[in-house]
Amino acid sequence: MSVNRCLYAAATCLMAGWCVVFVVMLSGEACAADGRTPKEQKLLAVLRGDATEADKAMACKELAVFGSVDAVPDLAKLLDNERLASWARIPLEAIPDAACDAALREAADGLSGRLLVGVINSLGVRRDLAAINLLAKRLGDADPAVADAAAAALGKVGTAAAAEPLRKSLAAATPALRASAAEGCVLCAEHLLAANQTAAATALYDAVRQADVPKPRVIEATRGAILARGEQGVPLLVETLRSPDRDKNRIALGTARELKAAGVLPALAAELPRATPERAVLLIEALADLGGMAAVPATLQAAGTGPKPVRLSAIRALGRIGDATCVNPLLTVAADSDVDLASAAKSALAEVSAGGSKEIDDQIRGRLAQAQGPALPLLIELVGRRRIGAVDEVAAALGNADPAVRGTALACLGEIVDLERLPLLVQQAVVPKDKADAGAAMKALRAASVRMPDREACAEKLVSAMASAPPETKVAILDILGEMQGANALAAVVAAAEGDDATLQDASTRLLGNWMTSEAGPSLLDLAKSLPAGKYQSRAFRGYLRILRQFAASDAERSQMGRLAYVAARTVDDRKAVLDAVRRTPTMDMLTMVVEAGATPELREDARIATATIMSKMGEATPEAWTLAGRLGLPKVQLEILRATYGAGDVQKDVTTPLRKVVGNVPLIPLPAAGYNASFGGDPAPGQTKRLLIQYRLDGKPGEASFAEDAVIVLPVPGAAANDATSVPHPSRSESLHGRWSPTRRTLVAGR
Amino acid sequence: MIASGIKGSGSSGRMQRRRFIKAGIAAAAAPMIVPGSALGLDGAVPPSERIVVGGIGIGNRGTYDLGCFLEQPDVQFAAVCDVKEARRLAVKKIADGKYGNQDCAMHADFRELLDRKDIDAVLIATGPNWHGLAAVLTAKAGKDMYCEKPCTKNISESLILRDTIRRTGRVFQAGTQRRNLPHFAFACELARTGRLGKLKRLYAHPAGMKAMTSGWLPAETEPAKVSVDWDRYLGPAAWRPFNPKLLDGFNFEKGGGLVGGGVLEWGSHCVDLCQWAADDRPPPVEYNPPREGEIVTRYADGVELVFREKGWLPLGSCPVRFEGEDGWVEAGDSGKLVFSSPTLLAGRKVEEIGGYPATFHVREFLDCVKTRGRPKGNAEAACNAHIACHAANIAIFLGRPVRFDTVTNEFPGDVEANRLRSEALREPWRM
Repeated sequence: MSVNRCLYAAATCLMAGWCVVFVVMLSGEACAADGRTPKEQKLLAVLRGDATEADKAMACKELAVFGSVDAVPDLAKLLDNERLASWARIPLEAIPDAACDAALREAADGLSGRLLVGVINSLGVRRDLAAINLLAKRLGDADPAVADAAAAALGKVGTAAAAEPLRKSLAAATPALRASAAEGCVLCAEHLLAANQTAAATALYDAVRQADVPKPRVIEATRGAILARGEQGVPLLVETLRSPDRDKNRIALGTARELKAAGVLPALAAELPRATPERAVLLIEALADLGGMAAVPATLQAAGTGPKPVRLSAIRALGRIGDATCVNPLLTVAADSDVDLASAAKSALAEVSAGGSKEIDDQIRGRLAQAQGPALPLLIELVGRRRIGAVDEVAAALGNADPAVRGTALACLGEIVDLERLPLLVQQAVVPKDKADAGAAMKALRAASVRMPDREACAEKLVSAMASAPPETKVAILDILGEMQGANALAAVVAAAEGDDATLQDASTRLLGNWMTSEAGPSLLDLAKSLPAGKYQSRAFRGYLRILRQFAASDAERSQMGRLAYVAARTVDDRKAVLDAVRRTPTMDMLTMVVEAGATPELREDARIATATIMSKMGEATPEAWTLAGRLGLPKVQLEILRATYGAGDVQKDVTTPLRKVVGNVPLIPLPAAGYNASFGGDPAPGQTKRLLIQYRLDGKPGEASFAEDAVIVLPVPGAAANDATSVPHPSRSESLHGRWSPTRRTLVAGR
Repeated sequence: MIASGIKGSGSSGRMQRRRFIKAGIAAAAAPMIVPGSALGLDGAVPPSERIVVGGIGIGNRGTYDLGCFLEQPDVQFAAVCDVKEARRLAVKKIADGKYGNQDCAMHADFRELLDRKDIDAVLIATGPNWHGLAAVLTAKAGKDMYCEKPCTKNISESLILRDTIRRTGRVFQAGTQRRNLPHFAFACELARTGRLGKLKRLYAHPAGMKAMTSGWLPAETEPAKVSVDWDRYLGPAAWRPFNPKLLDGFNFEKGGGLVGGGVLEWGSHCVDLCQWAADDRPPPVEYNPPREGEIVTRYADGVELVFREKGWLPLGSCPVRFEGEDGWVEAGDSGKLVFSSPTLLAGRKVEEIGGYPATFHVREFLDCVKTRGRPKGNAEAACNAHIACHAANIAIFLGRPVRFDTVTNEFPGDVEANRLRSEALREPWRM
């Protein structure tokens, strides 16, 4: 799409809230970015006329996108306006024309204080080469803020010419100017480096390092000086690393991770033996971040002996950078009596993989074959954590006399068995040799089942096992099937729900109610229709509605589900739940169903809420739709919320915006959630009796209505007779409220 | 297929943390605290290991973040700064209550806080209007920072923030706490490491696709400066008269110039996750305006990043979905994962932690303050994710496709789009 085809069409200020929403349309009209347009001329007329400051401000914003060089003189006139200068600089920074630079330079001559600082900042953003002399002069301004801005602007310009006055100012008498100059120098050096002027950049960084300037600038310059030197920066890196100053040590640790130089890793490793324990910990972290085999020997050594914090750090690092040579040393530490060290070593052994996992896995598997005593559970655990396929060796440990070893072996098998060997765990779970192992076996079976590639085949095996399992085991297996999902799992869970075992019905309807795919829908509907009334039938029905509400589906599919649900509903509460579920499906079919439901007195209010929601979501509703809505006393109206507050006494929350979001073209306002607190972002006055007060305009007439907490919001036609007004409790609440119309205040008072 | 793990998702971050650590997942995020026992201190963290933290703009979200900091044994929260007196007092009460003293200092001017030599790190939880500038000034003051999202208001701010963090060598953690939740991390890992096959499409949930900005409301009587410092509150935003409705810092001037809304508010989380899934690569190069509830953007290699309003599995807020040639994974704030195939779980246990607590993210930040490592929500990652959101908003605003060059950080030949990359800051502020 050509830029020339763009036209900014409208900027609608929604002052009712506090947001401005810009609307853009396309047309064949030329875009202002390429020259004068009627749009730009209109905006300029706003700036030139008697428009309010607000209008002028918004015009500036629009000119930032659609203004041309023609706008510059009018914008420049605002640069001395304390209120509008910041708005004027928005387009002056954005319009890509040298006229903006010239206007800013010219303005700088006549301004002072903050306004001058702003103009200088804009010159910096625009990197105006022609402003270098002006900015250099301003380095000597009596106002430190101006000098500071000039230094930063020169830094942003970033040429050798801009750097020169900054470098000189590093030796200025005033600390403030030296500080400002240092900031500018570092910025300049960065630009020079990016322009491949490495020597100039390095010299500038060094000048700042050696100047009497604030420490953060020295730190930045040190980093820059190291990086600019590349491979030759390693000595300075080491020197900085050794500095007794904590901040310098820290910048060296960070810079070491940035410097792309072969010498970095050996240099850091060489520092390890001489570092204090505190610094050694940090060095090891840096070595681990850099990775590479060169760091392994030094890290291994640190892992074996020395202060505990250093050892812990080194052991953890080996998990990230270690290779097969680390296995034996880490196994030794894993057997250490110090729990922290042993645990860290075990974790490192589970992760270590540099140079390839196979050699490491083979070492561990080989040791497992001969392991005894404490080494046996350690190696079994590692086999599990590394998922080494040593099923036979681990299964052999299931006969071990020590329950802890058997438990570790079961957990390990949960991680490593395949579908073929799954029966090993099924048997342990369903018919454990030792009852003490049953829990661990079921946990392992679950771990194995949920990761099986062939989910359907795995489910078949579990379903077979259920047949001979005791009741509590059946429930546990159902839970596993619920985790697995899939067709066979669903069928098994549905079968359990249809059976006559209450325990299994309880578990299975619970699982179905949270099923993660819409495939459960038809089964839930069947259960809702076939199960006897009660908890399980209700669960099935609500589960079906959950799928209707939450899962991806077309409006047509939802409408069909809504119809089916309404037919299956057995109680008034069920039907109310259906009306609530379908109100976000804006189809004529659902509107028809809802309106028909509204003919039943117990359902009337819920149907009205659902109808109002559907009408608001339909957008341009058809005459037929309005006819239907009219049958529930919901005529088409022009409704505007002027202001709404919710609370008690002096504690009032402005809820104008959330109400405006849900208001439609009917006098009933459907809330997005059950209750005012949930719909309005919390309880503004906990424990107190709250009311909602709405000022509105209905068909052009102003009105005001007040509602007790959670009452249905039906706004009466202002000036209508009292019995035209409606205010009843929200259907989800049981308290009884009755509204009455107060003609003098034009307020509907509900629930007094 | 649902990931295995601990069932349920309570709402308490502290409870979740205990569960997380108990479950052993915390090993990867073990705090870099020298055990007090190792130094004969009976479990106390030695003073040299403590990180002294100050807070800027601590309102609703900030108070939650503050709680996450305060529960860390190696944190000493020393000072609060806010333009609102009531908030200063409220935060002081919390901090002093935690430590049993009256030591938490209060500042109305954040520059006083940044000038303090004793403060190592800063929690920035102002409104989005201030996030980027406060982060840049904090970095220039030589302090590390945890900065709430959205971190920037436009593309230019994103780049300046990234470059400033690099230049100053500071540790920066964006408030993208989902990067430190195991289920999101695992989903991203699946995509990043090729387990889903060649990536095809990444989905993020924007929760609104309008380009908007704060307006100008009628002037009302300005409160005393000690109560609310309006000039400081406006900060870098263009001037407008005081109106209490604009004091909603969370929404004020979000997105700066012309943009904001859900794409930035939620995108700084869910687009950020998509970016991580795509290995924190440069942002997409092509952005299309909304069509049928979707904003389609494309990376240089053709992989799509799609902002999508509907069609999500019921996995809670902030859902993301990653699709490759060999499978897909979807995750949300419930803590649950759904996979195309169980093989993707491959023996991994992924703990379910719902309620998106920030505890682990804060912990990782503190560890990096000590090690000088790069946290997951680092400035470069945040910059790329934010640019994706800003560019998408520009496509919304212009109502047409735009193309972005990730090397020059410009929209080549697109004058209008380029003008929307940045916006002047009100004097005297600069980035």
